Amino acid sequence: MRAVHYLNQFFAGLGGEEAAETPPTRLEGAVGPGRGLDGTLEGIEIVATLACGDDYFAEHEEEALGRLLELAGAERPGLVVAGPAFGSGRYGYACARFSRLVSERLGIPALAAMHGENPGVAVAEGKVPIVPTAVNVVGMRDALPRMAQLAAALASGRELGPPAEEGYLPRGFRRNRLAEQPGAERAIDLLLAKLDGDARSEVDGGFDRVPPPLPVPDLSRARLALVTEAGCVPQGNPDRLPAIRAQGWLRYSLAGERSLAAGRYESVHGGFDVTLANEDPNRLVPLDTVRALEEAGRVGRIHDVFYTTTGNGTPVAASTRFGSEIAAELREAGVEAVLLSGT
Amino acid sequence: MAWELATFPAGLMGKVPPLEHVDVEVVRPGEPVRITHVLDAVEPRVRPDGRAAFPVEGTAGEGRTNRLEGVVVLSCLDFPAEERPLHEQESLVDMAGPGAALSPIAEDTAVVLRFRPRAGLGNEELEASARRTTLVVAEELARPTLDAEPVEVERFELGPVERELPAVAALIQLSDLGPLYYQYLYGVPVGAAGLPRAIDPAELLDGAVTCGEYHWAALRNPTVVFQRSALVHALYREHGQRLRFAGVVLMRGYEQSAAAKRRAAEAAAQAALALGVDGAIVTTDAGGNSHTDVMLTCRACEEAGVRTTVIVAEMADPEATGPGLTDWVPEADSIVSAGNAEELVPAWTPQRVLGGDTLLDGTPAATAGPIPVRNYFGATNQTGQLALTATTW
Repeated sequence: MRAVHYLNQFFAGLGGEEAAETPPTRLEGAVGPGRGLDGTLEGIEIVATLACGDDYFAEHEEEALGRLLELAGAERPGLVVAGPAFGSGRYGYACARFSRLVSERLGIPALAAMHGENPGVAVAEGKVPIVPTAVNVVGMRDALPRMAQLAAALASGRELGPPAEEGYLPRGFRRNRLAEQPGAERAIDLLLAKLDGDARSEVDGGFDRVPPPLPVPDLSRARLALVTEAGCVPQGNPDRLPAIRAQGWLRYSLAGERSLAAGRYESVHGGFDVTLANEDPNRLVPLDTVRALEEAGRVGRIHDVFYTTTGNGTPVAASTRFGSEIAAELREAGVEAVLLSGT
Repeated sequence: MAWELATFPAGLMGKVPPLEHVDVEVVRPGEPVRITHVLDAVEPRVRPDGRAAFPVEGTAGEGRTNRLEGVVVLSCLDFPAEERPLHEQESLVDMAGPGAALSPIAEDTAVVLRFRPRAGLGNEELEASARRTTLVVAEELARPTLDAEPVEVERFELGPVERELPAVAALIQLSDLGPLYYQYLYGVPVGAAGLPRAIDPAELLDGAVTCGEYHWAALRNPTVVFQRSALVHALYREHGQRLRFAGVVLMRGYEQSAAAKRRAAEAAAQAALALGVDGAIVTTDAGGNSHTDVMLTCRACEEAGVRTTVIVAEMADPEATGPGLTDWVPEADSIVSAGNAEELVPAWTPQRVLGGDTLLDGTPAATAGPIPVRNYFGATNQTGQLALTATTW
C-alpha cells in the first residue's frame, strides 16, 4: 500500500525557524522520522513526504491545506500519516487539520501522532485517530512503532477496536461493553470510594456551557423571533413533525396571527404531558404576550415566522445542527433577539 | 421487619389460565424468538397466607412470599391508536442472538401474553386491563408452590450493625408522566402516592412497586427489575460488611415544572437525610426529563451533605463525539453508566416472532436491520440490574 507522510519544515530537514515560511513541498519517499517509520511498516511504503513550514501553515492555512490535499491526492495513497508533532502546538494543529481533511474530503484513512495535550487533539474532533506521544522528541523511538501498529490497523480496512488496545487517544465516542459486575455493585463500589474521598465516575459530564450573549442594546428597536423545541405545530401537524427524534426543524408564518389559538395549534411533543399546553398553545410559544409588548412599544417587531422542532431523544450533535441552521436564517433576516421556549 | 422469600423450581408452574383476547406462548431461553410490543415482565409470586402478591392495601415485605425461579410473565400489546398523550415506543425481547445479551430476562422462561385489543376500548382502558391480567397470571402461575417444598429460603432483615460503617440508602426514582407513563406504588400511580417516601427495602422486592411505564424500552424499569432488584439485593449482602443499609427512599421523576422538580429533589434529599445516611445510590427511570430530576436530586443530596452515586443510561449518537447525558450537574462526580441506548445492535433473524409481526415503525420484525439498544426492553435500565456499560472510544 502507498502511504504519504506529513512533516513540518524542521522534521523534514528543511531547517528550523528560518525555514518556517516554507510553503507545501513534496519530497520523494520517506524523510527524517519517516525513514524510521517506513522501516517498521509491513506492506506499506511511504512514497512521498509532504512538508510545510509552521509559520506558513498558520498564516496561509486555507492555501496550505488546499495545496497539501492536491499533493496528497496526486499520490493516490491508501493511507496518510502525520507527525509525530509531540507537544508542538502549531505543528500538531497542522497535522490534525490536514489528516482530518484527508479523511473527510479524500476518504483516505489517516492518522496523526502528538502529545495528548497538544491543541491539535481537540481540532481532530475524533475524526482521525491520534497516537499519543511524549511531549518532546525524546519520545520518537517509542512513537514510531506505535504509529506503525495503528497504520497497519487502518490499512487493513477493519473497524478500529478500543483505544487502549489499538494505541490511540480516546476520541469521545461512547461504546457499549459488558462490565464484569452489574451496575448495582459498581455503584456501591463507587459510592464507598467517594465516601472515602476518592470520587470516580464512568461518565464525564463535560458539557459545553454556552456563554450568555451580550444583552440586546435596545429591545424596543429590535426584531424578536420566537423559537421553540416544544413540538408546537399547526393543528393536525401538516408537515408530520415527529413526537420524538426529530430529524430537522420547521418554520411557520405568524403573519396576521395575534395569538396561537387552541384548536389552531398543538404540540406533538412526546416527552411531556401536552394537555395543558394544548389548552393554550401560547404557553409554549407566547405570541399573545409578545404581541402585547410589541403594541406597547417595548419590543421593536415580532419576526413574522416562528421556528419549531421536537426536543425529545435528539442527539446533541443533531440539536447543535438545528440550532446553527435556525440561527443562520435568523441572522440573515436581521433578527437581533430570540425568545427560546423549552419544555 | 423481616421477610422471607422462598424459591421453588420452575417445574411447579401451573396451567396458564385461558384468558379471553389473549394469546399465550411459552418461550425458553436461547430459542430463536423475537418478542415485540413488550409492556412489562413480572416474576410469578404468591403468598402462603393468602394476601395478594401485588398488594394494593397492607404492606408488602412481611411474612413469606413464594417465587418461581427462572420464569417471567411477559405482557405484549400493540395499542390500536396513537391517542395523545401517548407515545409508546417499540419494545423488544430477543431470546437468542446479539440482543439476548442485553435482556434482563435472558435466562428466564417467558410466558408471553399477547393481548388482542377488543375494538372500541381506549388505550388507558386496554393498558389497565393488560396490566391487571398480567399480575393475576403471575400470581396464578406461582400457586402450585403452595403445596411444595422450597429449594431455598432467603431471609431479608436489616439487623443492628455493630461496627462503625457508612450508612447508605437507595434513592429510587419512579415515573409519573400521565397515562401509560405510570409506575405504581401499591397500585397507585406514584404521583398520587405521596412521594418521597421511605420504605422497607423488602417492600420493593415484594411487589409494592409495579410498572405501567412504556416510554423508552431500554430505559424502562419493569416490575421484575424491582422484584429482583440487584441494587437492593447487593445492599442487603453488604449490610454489616462494608456498609449499613439504611433503607430505600422512593421519589418521583417527571415533575412537570422547574420549581416542582427542585422541590421534589430537595424533599428526596431530606428523606434520605432523615434515614441518617452518609451516602445514597440514586437510580433513574426513563430519560430526558427524568435525567434532569436525577441530576437535581444529586445536587440536593450533595448540598444536604449526602454523598451520591448516580446510575443513568447514556444517549450518545454513535457517529458523533460528545456527551451522552441529557443533563448533568458538577456535583455528579460519581456516575455509573448503564450503557449507551443509541448504539445499534447487529441485525438478527429470528425463526419466530411473538407479540406482533410488525414493529411500530412499520418494518417487519423478523427481517428488521440493526435495531438501536433503546428499543430493547430493560437493556439499559437505570437501577444497576445489568452489566452493560459504556466506555469512551
